[in-house]
Amino acid sequence: MVTVRLPGSLRDLVGGANKVQAEGRTLDELLSDIDRRFPGFRARLVDERGAIRTYVNVYIGEHDARTRGGLGASLEGASEVMVIPAMAGG
Amino acid sequence: MSDELVLPRAVREEILRHALEEAPKECCGVLVGHDGVAERAVRCRNAHREPNVRYEIDPRDLYAVLRPMEDEDRELVAIYHSHPASPPVPSPTDRAEARWPRALHVLASWRTGAPELRAYRIEGDWMREVPVRES
Repeated sequence: MVTVRLPGSLRDLVGGANKVQAEGRTLDELLSDIDRRFPGFRARLVDERGAIRTYVNVYIGEHDARTRGGLGASLEGASEVMVIPAMAGG
Repeated sequence: MSDELVLPRAVREEILRHALEEAPKECCGVLVGHDGVAERAVRCRNAHREPNVRYEIDPRDLYAVLRPMEDEDRELVAIYHSHPASPPVPSPTDRAEARWPRALHVLASWRTGAPELRAYRIEGDWMREVPVRES
């Protein structure tokens, strides 16, 4: 079981909780597990091409998931995932 | 969500100092605290490829500052950045890319040679300036 920490802007999608528990061997499976309980969750993080949205950062432990294969990143040994929307502007 | 930003003088000065030091690039960072009270400013790196006109907080810095807050009972009070050559008012890009509706947005500028700092709440196309109360 993995703890998924969520910032304020995503908490509304999971009933207001700041973290949820989920299962999966990969990040993709983990997001799909959450999406089964909270439909629409995955689409907020994953684009139409099946990649993590450019303005979303996902950390597996202390590692950026993009450096570990993106959605295909293994969660073996991981206990925590944190979703962090980008902070950007002009 | 608070309708004002409580900003200690030292934190305000730190934001303005950061803006001055990074010019002509935009500086960026976050204010950590609770209930609308900014206790400290945390400088972050601007990772955008056009840093003179855009900012994107380096995701590694975001993780480094946000993860400990989960255990410290502290919250993200505001996101700050500077407008080196324009007024401290949210740009269309600032509004389009605002993805933290519970955090205030603080803008700093030295465009006139004098320090300017304002705070806003941004949600979608809607934005509103909120008072900054020095403490």
